[in-house]
Amino acid sequence: MAAASLAAAPAAAPDRAFLTVEGLKKHFGGVKALDGVSFSLDEGEVHALVGENGAGKSTLIKILSGVFPYDAGQIVLAGEPYRPSSPHDAKDHGVQVVHQEFNLLEHLSIAENISIEQLPKNSLGLLDRKEMNRRARKALDSIGLTDVDVTAPVSALGIAHRQLVEIARALQSKSRILILDEPTATLTERETKRLFDIVAGIKADGVTVVFVSHHLDEVFAICDRVTVFRNGKTIATDLISETTPEGVVQRMVGRKLAAEQHEHPEGHVVGASALRLENLVTSANPGNSGISLDLRYGEIVGISGLVGAGRTEILRGIFGIDPPRSGKIFRDATEVRCKGPRDAIAAGIGFVTEDRKDEGLILGMPIAANISLANMGSVSRSGLLKLAEETRQAIAGAARLTLKYGRTSDPASSLSGGNQQKVVLAKWLARNPKVLLLDEPTRGVDVGAKAEIYAILKDLAREGVALLVVSSEMPELMTLADRILVLAEHEIQGEVKRPDFSEENILKLAYGQTPGAGENDT
Amino acid sequence: MTTETLSETAAAAPKFSIRTVLHNAGIGLALLALIVFFSLFTEHFLTPNNITNILTQITINLVLAVGMTFVILIGGIDLSVGSVMAFAAVVAGKAITLPGFGPAEAIALAIVAATLTGVFCGFLNGAISAYWSLPSFIITLGMLNIARGAALQVSEAQTIYSFPFAFEEFGSAMIYGVPVVFLVALVLVFIAWFVLNFTVFGRLIYGIGNNEEAVRLAGHSVARYKIAAFTICGLTAGIAAVVYMARLNIASPIAGIGFELNAIAAVIIGGTSLSGGRGSVIGTLLGAFIIGVLANGLILIGLSDFMRQMITGVVIIVAVILDYYRAKYTAK
Repeated sequence: MAAASLAAAPAAAPDRAFLTVEGLKKHFGGVKALDGVSFSLDEGEVHALVGENGAGKSTLIKILSGVFPYDAGQIVLAGEPYRPSSPHDAKDHGVQVVHQEFNLLEHLSIAENISIEQLPKNSLGLLDRKEMNRRARKALDSIGLTDVDVTAPVSALGIAHRQLVEIARALQSKSRILILDEPTATLTERETKRLFDIVAGIKADGVTVVFVSHHLDEVFAICDRVTVFRNGKTIATDLISETTPEGVVQRMVGRKLAAEQHEHPEGHVVGASALRLENLVTSANPGNSGISLDLRYGEIVGISGLVGAGRTEILRGIFGIDPPRSGKIFRDATEVRCKGPRDAIAAGIGFVTEDRKDEGLILGMPIAANISLANMGSVSRSGLLKLAEETRQAIAGAARLTLKYGRTSDPASSLSGGNQQKVVLAKWLARNPKVLLLDEPTRGVDVGAKAEIYAILKDLAREGVALLVVSSEMPELMTLADRILVLAEHEIQGEVKRPDFSEENILKLAYGQTPGAGENDT
Repeated sequence: MTTETLSETAAAAPKFSIRTVLHNAGIGLALLALIVFFSLFTEHFLTPNNITNILTQITINLVLAVGMTFVILIGGIDLSVGSVMAFAAVVAGKAITLPGFGPAEAIALAIVAATLTGVFCGFLNGAISAYWSLPSFIITLGMLNIARGAALQVSEAQTIYSFPFAFEEFGSAMIYGVPVVFLVALVLVFIAWFVLNFTVFGRLIYGIGNNEEAVRLAGHSVARYKIAAFTICGLTAGIAAVVYMARLNIASPIAGIGFELNAIAAVIIGGTSLSGGRGSVIGTLLGAFIIGVLANGLILIGLSDFMRQMITGVVIIVAVILDYYRAKYTAK
């Protein structure tokens, strides 16, 4: 019944509103997570929700999907009051969410994962494997994943495919609203494009898609309307055709962003070699000739490449997490052999890892304890903690990075994503590293904090620190880096210098195509 | 600005523990409720004699539970402490009955022998599980059997007795009705509390329990701290062996069967998370008291030993359920 009413005009007409949210409020203890959220969804539109971390998007999604009840306000779904009592109830109403974190069972097959909510049974009450595989096949085919074997275990899939399997799972039961929470955070550009094609297909079937993302270029590529959140309130809903990315960002932060993000200071005084790799091969990075690169003081070098090209593995190799199999690492022209992170740290290297939650932070422990974690010597004497000194250093470190926090004794989990990332940075800056490795330094970080982190990293380079940055976001590398090394298949395909920066030049190298004007391998 | 900074400095250090203090207050209230209950419904519960009894009864469990707290805080478990205690006692019993030593030397020798045996077993537990990244549950289950077998082998399955008189005196000595051995346990609790809250070592024990990988990537040798936690647990098993010998004047190879479970129960009832990273040794102290008071009070009230065991089991489960709600609300 839904698909028939799909009108041709993309613009929103008030009578097509299919879900309306009015004056929605929700608080946790004393914290107002939602403080007056109002917006509406039309049938068959792709609607973006944007806003800084902590602006209320996640809370709204959790309310819509039945995880939390709401305190005040009202939601009307297809003409009826909507108050889901559980995620199951929300699904019964046709509201499906694909979460940012995967909910797949790794050791089970793709088919089992897809049918896990309602496994088919045969007449004996046993699992009907044939039917299960058939359903999974149908679900995957419907989003164009015809090349994936449904009997393979999920653990055999790359991260991008896992995301698509989740979408297939959400779509196989009747969905009216599909919420995608940061679906592209872990995808490369090519995979993102595939996702967009799938979203377009879903939309054509009359399903409403809610798209939550930090990437405005994606919002502008596939969405019809955008609703901006700030501090638990909805600020405005705009037609994409009538607004610009700059306009959206302005609504998001409520102030003009420093133009610095696109400014290209050529002011880095590049010094002597800080870190040099000679044919470095690790067990996790088995390229034929290994990785060779030279990083100088005061320089920011970016590493680009598709997911799986071996970018993170280079950083892990340097930091001694995956010890080298062959090749050499030089610090200040002296060869170092790092048997573990401890040796790398002693050599003046810091590593901001990609995964804040599992590798970067101890979420349950105080901010101060996180900041001092790599620098226990300076907050202790003969093994005894100097707690006052630790707090003092934490306050100083937080001030340097304009961290927004309550107390240094609050757990790191109390902070927003951007501020958590600043705590990770503060931890390494407390050691005054000479070489700083950064892996996806702004993943899951909102626009405002992103700009601040860029400014911090540029300041560090100006102070003479050598920075090696891995990122999946090309605009990020083009903003930060003096030159970008492009990886594919665990080998450096070429280097792009600042004057030649363009997504095209980088992508060509990443896809192993004929090098364009960007290559400059001297 | 200045005042803000000042108040921040002043409040920061204690607040880390305010939460634990509040939490301990909850366990303390439960203990208090038990004490009030038993005083109202039994005649003898609050008599000096009975209090002395309770303190004596909980001492060994408390000593074991202090070491167990370290192991559980790093997310491990040590099932071997009961057997290790027996093994340490038997080795110390052999040492103390060696001919040719004066009483003082013999006692010193016994104490050294017991603690070294405990430390050795604990170190093995830690080193093996850390080096091969194996679950400590299995390794210490193995050690449980090894140590018990070793105790029987060394003692030829015979109970060792006739210790110097001074040793017996120490075991039954009182200061104002408080057993000296209990005071020894209290000193251990204090040392553990200090180490866990005011040293780099303690900080990293909590850190490893919360997020081992983050601690490793910050340049710390996680294996070393894990081994240390198990070694401490072995050390307390050795100390428990000394207390046990002094109290009972024997060293039996079949002592301490099931003690590991009581020690774990004290730690868990005390609010330490079985998955590590959260909890305190003060909680463990209260947990040991709750188990001891329950055991004593329920018998005074006239319940059978079987009923007592059932109720202790219920308390363990209730404690974990309460901890679930506490974690849920403090996380918000």
